[in-house]
Amino acid sequence: MPNDSPNNSMLTFSPLLTTKRVRDHFQTPPNPFKDTPKDLNISNNNHNQNTGNTLLLPNSYIHQSSPQNSKLVNLIISESIPDSNSTIIHDNESNTTKQEINSNSNNIRTNMTADVTGLPDMSNIHENSTTSNNINPITNNNGNNNNNNNNNNNNNNNNNNNNLNNNNNSNTNNNNNNTSHNNLESSTIVDANQPLTQADKLRLWRHDALLQHHYKTAVYIGDKILSLTNDPNDAFWLAQVHYAANNYQLARNLLTGPKFEASVGCRYLAGLCLYKLDKMDEALDIIGEVNPFKKDHSIRNPDGGIKLEASMCYLRGLVYTKQNNFDKAKYCFKEAVLVDAKCFEAFDELISNHLLTPDEEWDLLENINFDDADNNNELVKLLYTTHINKYKKLNLYEDAKQRLIDEFDLGDNIDILLSQAELLFVKCKFQDCLDLCAKIIDRDELNISALSNYLSCLYELGGKNKLFLMAHKLAENYPNHYITWVAIGIYYFSIKQITEARVFFSKASMMNPNFASAWIGFAHTFAADGEHEQAVSAYATASRLFPGTHLPNLFLGMQYLQMNNFTLAWEYLSYSYSICPTDPLLLNEIGVLNYHKNELQRAEVYLRQALISSKSLEYGSKAWCSIHCNLAHVYRRMNMFEKAVNHFNEVLKIAKNDVNIYSTLGLINLKQGKIANAIEYLHTALSIQPNDAMATDLLDKALDLNARIANKKFLDEAMKSTAINNFKRGHSKVTEVLKSSMSKRKISGNLSNNLSDELMDIESD
Amino acid sequence: MDFEQLSSVRKDFLESNLLLTERHLINSAKWSSEALNGMIQLTREQQYAEFQMMKRSNNFKSSNAPNSLSSPLLSSASFEPSATASYAIGSTGFESTSTNANSSTHNFTATNKILGSTTTGQGSTNSLNFLPSAFTGGSLTGELEAQQDYNNLSGVKNENEEFNQFIERDVISLADSYFNCKEYNRCSDVLKNCKSYRALFLRLYSLFLSGEKKRTLENGTVLGQNDRNYQNPNLTTIIKELEEYKTSNNISSLNDPFLLYLQGIIFLKSKKMSHAQEMFYQSLSLYPINWSCWKELIVSLSTFSEALRMINRIRKNTKFTDRKEYYLMFLFFKITVYQEFYQISNEVLSNLNDLCEIFPNFSFLKTQKALISYNELDYATAENIFDDILKSDPMRLDEMDIYSNILYVMENRSKLSYLAHYAHEVDPLRPETCCIIANYHSIKFDHQKAIMYYKRALSLSQDCLSAWTLMGHEFVELKNSNAAIESYRRAVDTNNKDFRAWYGLGQAYEVLDMHLYSLYYYQRACSLKPMDKRMWQAIGNCCEKLEDYEDSIKSYKKALSVSIDSDPAILCKLGHLYSHIDDAKNAKLYMKICLDQELNGEITDETTKARLWLAQHEMLNSNWQLAYNYAVDLTQGTSQEIEEARAIAREARMKLNTSTSSKKAFL
Repeated sequence: MPNDSPNNSMLTFSPLLTTKRVRDHFQTPPNPFKDTPKDLNISNNNHNQNTGNTLLLPNSYIHQSSPQNSKLVNLIISESIPDSNSTIIHDNESNTTKQEINSNSNNIRTNMTADVTGLPDMSNIHENSTTSNNINPITNNNGNNNNNNNNNNNNNNNNNNNNLNNNNNSNTNNNNNNTSHNNLESSTIVDANQPLTQADKLRLWRHDALLQHHYKTAVYIGDKILSLTNDPNDAFWLAQVHYAANNYQLARNLLTGPKFEASVGCRYLAGLCLYKLDKMDEALDIIGEVNPFKKDHSIRNPDGGIKLEASMCYLRGLVYTKQNNFDKAKYCFKEAVLVDAKCFEAFDELISNHLLTPDEEWDLLENINFDDADNNNELVKLLYTTHINKYKKLNLYEDAKQRLIDEFDLGDNIDILLSQAELLFVKCKFQDCLDLCAKIIDRDELNISALSNYLSCLYELGGKNKLFLMAHKLAENYPNHYITWVAIGIYYFSIKQITEARVFFSKASMMNPNFASAWIGFAHTFAADGEHEQAVSAYATASRLFPGTHLPNLFLGMQYLQMNNFTLAWEYLSYSYSICPTDPLLLNEIGVLNYHKNELQRAEVYLRQALISSKSLEYGSKAWCSIHCNLAHVYRRMNMFEKAVNHFNEVLKIAKNDVNIYSTLGLINLKQGKIANAIEYLHTALSIQPNDAMATDLLDKALDLNARIANKKFLDEAMKSTAINNFKRGHSKVTEVLKSSMSKRKISGNLSNNLSDELMDIESD
Repeated sequence: MDFEQLSSVRKDFLESNLLLTERHLINSAKWSSEALNGMIQLTREQQYAEFQMMKRSNNFKSSNAPNSLSSPLLSSASFEPSATASYAIGSTGFESTSTNANSSTHNFTATNKILGSTTTGQGSTNSLNFLPSAFTGGSLTGELEAQQDYNNLSGVKNENEEFNQFIERDVISLADSYFNCKEYNRCSDVLKNCKSYRALFLRLYSLFLSGEKKRTLENGTVLGQNDRNYQNPNLTTIIKELEEYKTSNNISSLNDPFLLYLQGIIFLKSKKMSHAQEMFYQSLSLYPINWSCWKELIVSLSTFSEALRMINRIRKNTKFTDRKEYYLMFLFFKITVYQEFYQISNEVLSNLNDLCEIFPNFSFLKTQKALISYNELDYATAENIFDDILKSDPMRLDEMDIYSNILYVMENRSKLSYLAHYAHEVDPLRPETCCIIANYHSIKFDHQKAIMYYKRALSLSQDCLSAWTLMGHEFVELKNSNAAIESYRRAVDTNNKDFRAWYGLGQAYEVLDMHLYSLYYYQRACSLKPMDKRMWQAIGNCCEKLEDYEDSIKSYKKALSVSIDSDPAILCKLGHLYSHIDDAKNAKLYMKICLDQELNGEITDETTKARLWLAQHEMLNSNWQLAYNYAVDLTQGTSQEIEEARAIAREARMKLNTSTSSKKAFL
């Protein structure tokens, strides 16, 4: 094999080149000799090695480097789908390695989270410990080898790639040979720089195994290293391996003992394990109930990594969330973000779980210190700005979006698209939102917020068939994900099979109690069945879980409104109003409430406000129509018929035919004394729904009036018109007829007289 | 291939599409345009270069042969297989293709015929003096003016729109092909990103048609369970698109006649009559030779006064008086309106005659004439005219259902039977044919079959106006009031000017003893045909049932005033009514008038009743002699009446005898 030559091996498997190689291979498959000699070699190599290789990735995969994507991959991996996804794993590796080399940074940071695909070389722990104000006592001189390690690391990577490639080959023999060979080579190269101890080599092995998810190997070797060295660092790394292999208890056990207590990194990992094991109180014991490192967030990590302190805060927040202690959780997440702006996890928790009110979100954004992100601070700030709610300060959002597109060329990035989609959703532009979300989902199948927007839009637009397809696709690909069950629930809800829908929503909310859509959908099923009490309790739960969104409170208000409990309705609606004073739906509800309370003036004010804020709404959407209708009803009650009619006409211009509108128009016309028009409208109403009680009632009334009043008028006019218009023809004829008949009568009278005379005569005779 | 070669291939395919469409080989044409659209895309610069090339050659061509602009129909007919010519058609043949598109579904044939006759008839009729002066200026320039006028107003002239149309011509040709193959959804989908007026119209129009198709499909059988539950689902979308188009182009109202027409149709479908009228009016003032639009305008007019207002409005628009094609169309409109509202004046008749001079062979005008005679109850003339039409255009089935109605009323069974068989032979699946056959069955008292055929007619075309009413009549015959009401209702929904349907509704409700309802429907019928005594009688009857005798008397009086010869029935009724409100004087008066009718006509039930009443009345007033006289002469009528009369006579005689005897005794 050509790659057997020691000189080439490193070049060959440099990740950067790997990607290039694949690209070349794709673009001009038959022309491998066009490139530089180095490349030539590579492509040759590739050619030999990859006959029928599954590693040939589409270019798009390789170029995607969004964090979202790698997150996705992580997720996939952590969901342990070991065999089929090798291509994606490869992609991810090449991604991370590529980034690493590009940035030329020494540190491949481990977040020490479940990020198994990161590259936890040994230097990290030292780095971390030193940077977090030297809390970690367990340093050893390995810390000095940072640079070398990095070298190793590259090398490692190369090997990894190599291994990976080969693993996917069917020929396992070859695989083994190759691996050992390359390892050997890499070690010889490293040897040239610096000699490695036996333990170091084992450590490399362990990492190698960890990276390739050979957890058994990693545990096996890690255990041996630990026994050999008895070094806490090795214990820590063994714990990492256990964690990655989902053996949380083992990891936790490894990390007990006073020497670990002092290390922040170890405590964090231990806390994480306990969190995973659902031992919240213990976790809190380990990481502390409040942040122990008060103040002084100004010290920056010299390496620019995420501060462990922030991670701790984040973990604390997670624990509190699990314990349903949302205030504290909110505080912790906020703290995490404030400690380190780079702790996106915490920021995301805050935003996507609606833990903050819109104002609080903006406050938070203003207080975050973006300096942590170094020269990326502007970028990160803009990104965060686009991430938060779209209720307020839209101009700032637009600015940020525009700058991201113009200056950073991120117009095509999924998160930017997603933020646009969210904005469209808030504006109720469902069709546009749907298109955009479809685009996002095309690229990222499991983007939760895109999916939930997509599903809601489909529901709004009545795309049952697509909902069905989507639900099936999700159920096939991600049967254990809560979004799948939400999708199925929405589908059943849209075909009005409420009971089934409820089952699926509740299942989804069990799987992830923090997912707002599931809870609200669950509550909606009760509302749709008219079971107000249960709906109220479900909405109340939702509102407790997600204080940052006004929707649960709005729905609560609506429920109480339906139950005619105006005081409670008002309470919830006004609370909702305090969160989001611009939502047209909410304003509409408040208007309706006031209408029911007979405070027409106030109702008018609110509905007008709703109309103004719905200006941004799409022309003719459902919400828009109902606002106009309600306003018209208010005007009708205020006896301002002209205005009422105008608003109704506005709706009729666009909306589907609605019995109520026509009946009400009939009523208005009746009140105005336009009986004929009223009858016309009522007929239209009845032609839409033949058994509408109100319309029938009104029609009877109108027809009665018609008989009593309009008919007289009608006849009078008719008589008049005969008198005037038909004077020549009609009237004269009448008189003529009358005259002639009169004359005839005279004649007949004469006749009868004669007759009677005759008769008399006869009789007298 | 380089640019030159590619563009020549492009031309070949575009040409073939046009040629094949011309020959109505639509599937082939579809293939060509699909191939054309599947070719390598041109860059914007290349497109612009082609556009310039086309314009240059087009200018050259139009300066050489101005005729090519004069009539769009002619220009597309004189197709030359050269590339330049095909481009010329691509951009200027707007009307021609869109009219073609329309005619395939809507009743556009009339327009084409008018157009055809205009161009052929103009040469000989230059001297006609009733037309505006511009008309005498020569036919070609007039046509040219119209074209330019349309172009200016619709903004087609502006460079941008022209360029848009040019670069979209491939897509539009594809869409045209889809449209011809009735793939409406595909047609609208393919035009999704186009910007020109033409593309927008085609897209929305095909959306509309696809919605209609869906609607008929979903509604199922006529008068079935799902009937009417389903509306055209695309109306809202189209309205929205049009609104968006307006806002995006920053205009307060649309300025393309066809888009206006489309919006009008949609308003009409959703029963917003005044909006619809406005749209149609605007569309017509931009482009008048669009008969469908005039027709829809007539549909949107619900009362005659409204119609008069519209006529006045059009008349006030100088365009319609100064320009000959506008004026002609206006005349067509006016005649049809008067005809449909059963109003005829001498002015209209003279207009009709004027038009007949220009279009002596135009069946449409002949039909109008026949209809006018029919409405005037002059059945024989109408029949003659229809015979004539059938002779000159034997395969024509349009409006033949009206002919069958006339034959039905005349009870000309043999001819009706012949017509039914003939129509069946020509085309059994035309709604007109079905109506004729239904009439045929109806005259044979086979009402079930008649209903079946009406239903068939209606499932073939929902707009079959008279079928609903006639079906209602059939249901009445079968004593199925509810079904009758439903079909009458549908009839007035599709055409609220049909007094028969309104009257039928009234009758049906009367059967159900719902007089409040029937009163209203009689009113409607009455306002449509105020000179018909039956309407007033019906109202009077209703009022009587509602125990409102004053009103009843009023309406009967009105009925009397509009009838040509005094009807004994009305007189008798009036007498009874007066007697009901104890106005003996008037009662007697009318009864006597009623009785007098015997003198100039035969004895009827009413006169008998009047006689009986008079006899009774005189008895009450102790005028024995008079009572005796009345009673004795009662020779016809029901046995009961005769019996009663005899009793009165006997009693009167007795009284008379006693009185005479007492008189004698007194003497």
